[in-house]
Amino acid sequence: MGLDPFLSVRGVSKSFGGVRALKGVDVEVLQGEVHGLVGANGAGKSTLIKILAGVQPPDAGTVLIDGDPVAIHDTQEAGRLGLSFIHQELNLVPKFSALQNMTLGLPKATRLGFIDWSATRREVGPVAERVGIDFSLDEPVGNLSVADQWLISIGRAMVRKARLIAMDEPTASLSAAESERLFRVVRELSDDGISILYVSHHLEEILDLCDTVTVFKDGERVATRERRSITKDSLVRDIVGGELAGTPQTSRPTAAEARPMLEVRDLRRGSAVRGVSFGLRPGEILGFAGLVGSGRTELARLIFGADRAEAGEVLLDGEPVRFRDPHDAVKHGIGLVPEERRSEGLVLGKSVDFNTNLASLPSLRFGKWLPLTDRRKSTGRAAGVAEQLSIKAPGVDTVVGQLSGGNQQKVVIGKWLIRDSRLLILDEPSRGVDVGARAEIHNIVRELAENGTGVIVISSEEEELIGLCNRILVMAQGRVTGELAGEEITKEEILRLSYARENGSEGGA
Amino acid sequence: MSVETEGSTLKGSGGRRAVSLLARYGTLAGLAVMIVGFSIASPDAFPTFSNLVNIVNQVALTAIIASGLTVVLIVDELDLSVGFGASLAGVLVTGLMVRQDLPVLVAIVAVVLVGGLVGVVNSLIVTKARVNSVVATLGVGTILIGFNYAYSAGQPIAAGLPDSFFLISLGTVLGIPNNILIMAAVLTVLWVLVNRTDAGQRMQAVGGNAEASRLSGIRVDRVKISAFVVSGMCAFLTGILLASLIGSGSTDAGDSYLLDAFAAVFLGSATLRDGEFHILGTLVGVLIIGVAFNGLSIFGAPTFYQYIFQGGILVFAVALSTIARRYAQA
Repeated sequence: MGLDPFLSVRGVSKSFGGVRALKGVDVEVLQGEVHGLVGANGAGKSTLIKILAGVQPPDAGTVLIDGDPVAIHDTQEAGRLGLSFIHQELNLVPKFSALQNMTLGLPKATRLGFIDWSATRREVGPVAERVGIDFSLDEPVGNLSVADQWLISIGRAMVRKARLIAMDEPTASLSAAESERLFRVVRELSDDGISILYVSHHLEEILDLCDTVTVFKDGERVATRERRSITKDSLVRDIVGGELAGTPQTSRPTAAEARPMLEVRDLRRGSAVRGVSFGLRPGEILGFAGLVGSGRTELARLIFGADRAEAGEVLLDGEPVRFRDPHDAVKHGIGLVPEERRSEGLVLGKSVDFNTNLASLPSLRFGKWLPLTDRRKSTGRAAGVAEQLSIKAPGVDTVVGQLSGGNQQKVVIGKWLIRDSRLLILDEPSRGVDVGARAEIHNIVRELAENGTGVIVISSEEEELIGLCNRILVMAQGRVTGELAGEEITKEEILRLSYARENGSEGGA
Repeated sequence: MSVETEGSTLKGSGGRRAVSLLARYGTLAGLAVMIVGFSIASPDAFPTFSNLVNIVNQVALTAIIASGLTVVLIVDELDLSVGFGASLAGVLVTGLMVRQDLPVLVAIVAVVLVGGLVGVVNSLIVTKARVNSVVATLGVGTILIGFNYAYSAGQPIAAGLPDSFFLISLGTVLGIPNNILIMAAVLTVLWVLVNRTDAGQRMQAVGGNAEASRLSGIRVDRVKISAFVVSGMCAFLTGILLASLIGSGSTDAGDSYLLDAFAAVFLGSATLRDGEFHILGTLVGVLIIGVAFNGLSIFGAPTFYQYIFQGGILVFAVALSTIARRYAQA
């Protein structure tokens, strides 16, 4: 391993709107080292990667390669500088062969104006061998496993003479054996002097593979440490930051010992949700914590009937229910405030009136058999809910696309208030919502629970769950890794469980 | 649908508002300019009461087929089978009366129901097999041509039609031609359906954002099916009235309605609203096309002008609608 830094990032900052995603971070990646980059959701890892890849320019700071400052204007420039990026989605063309994918967009040897594939094959062959490709290069990539596709992606970087390869969550959809194979390739590349920037939520992997680990938190670099000076516990401490003491609790009344209104038993779908069980009592606010991709959103969609479960049971008031689509769930009094507000929650081109009444259209009729809608009733309800939730809009006929994020979110919630939902699932309720509206939304949720509504809150912000929930289930890799209630609810515990691996599926009900 | 981009910096700027106004009232202004222009250029032939009634009468059928099509566009799909459906309806309704000796009313009701069935087939291909609606309805429309020729052997069906059938199109009530009254009735029903019923709210929601609608408990597929049924029934009703008007069931009489209807619907979507499809706008679109064609024929423009105009206005209408929608993005 050389000791010269290949890549230096100095004082790089980046803001989006008013949010400071990176606050003057420094990172140094030595030649031939495997450098781990960890941090909770929103710590700034992706932002740094995007800056290095030339997708976004930094607001301040410099990037140096081999000690020379460089300006990375676009992705081609990043490639010329020897930086290569492999994202979770891999960006391969499924119908093209491995060979075609590895050489995509590169000038190739030609004969009489046609691509000379046999010459190309001779060039690529050694690279393929080096990254451990043991299958035919003519195989369409779509037929190959994700693990093999990773090898092709690495090969593609090598063909481009990459000197640093950044990998984002490479093992997210790999088995243990496949991961091991990938690690071997990564170590060999590092021995050959290629630097690896390894982004992962899996701390075991980081400890296994990396020579150096940098921890980000809230857009700042918390620490850069050598492997031998870290343990998993010290890493978690760095990720959580100085807030090790349990966050002070306001009084946290546990919900009345009523029988659960919702019971979920061993719900499964693919690798996203792998056997989840829990119960929810009326008036309870149940939080779901975990890292992005831990299966929380997918679980919510299964309960709501938006996706079909492959196995498991959902019981409402003790009765098994099977929802074919969200229509069934809505009929049973369940409401979902989805993660993607603009694309899943709202008809942006329509009014507050239209959107808040969307889940309750039949009840707007003048009579059961008279399909004409009572527009006064519709406007009255919308105005009522707008006042109740203090939706700031010029009027109920205002188009929701013109409202702020917080007011849009209130419109989505209002839709379920008008429907009188008795079970509300909120997925990232305060994402893209300003601080004031966020507090208001939290008050609305508390008020609903006091009136007997069962509430499930999914959030990647631990503080939000801590402030809001009676009980928190933490998910990791499609399973519930732990349940926290009362005094046990601390940010540290939540994060520890978020990084837990294969701890079984017990924890709820 | 990709109708969401951040455009907050432009929001409310003067230029933007001007373009929006131009799009909203441009079509109405165009209609007014045409009427005034034709009246000045041809004061004896154009602005007479009988010619104006004649124009509305001529566009009545286009208005019916186009408003059915509007409903499909509201749910964000397309129906290219309407013209071929209208042709088949003319052949079917005359054949049922001449060959099967069915009473006029029974034949008409049966054929309108067949139109509904065609809509069901279209929509099932679109919603269940997930075939793009352009391809699905073009395929179904072509199959309808096949049925049409199989039934009629390519020959117009005219002999032996009862007089009462012709009277549908030729009769008047209080001096107003029946076709205009039928058009008014159909458009009123569809306007109420779209704007004043929960079914119509669902259609608008599905067209605005299908996924958000689904997650609000709306059964998106059913909404789309009902829209295609409306479109099919309107197309077949148009075909029936056309057969009554021209006095026979002819194999390709309705085909050309497809382009006129599309042009009208897209012109209409740029009228009064920003690229949103609506029944009243479609009526304006139909009138624009009707007035323009009427003017062309009064001035004795050769046939090739009509095709150039027809193709040109279709492209122009869709462009106008697209521009209006782009400027409406908030």
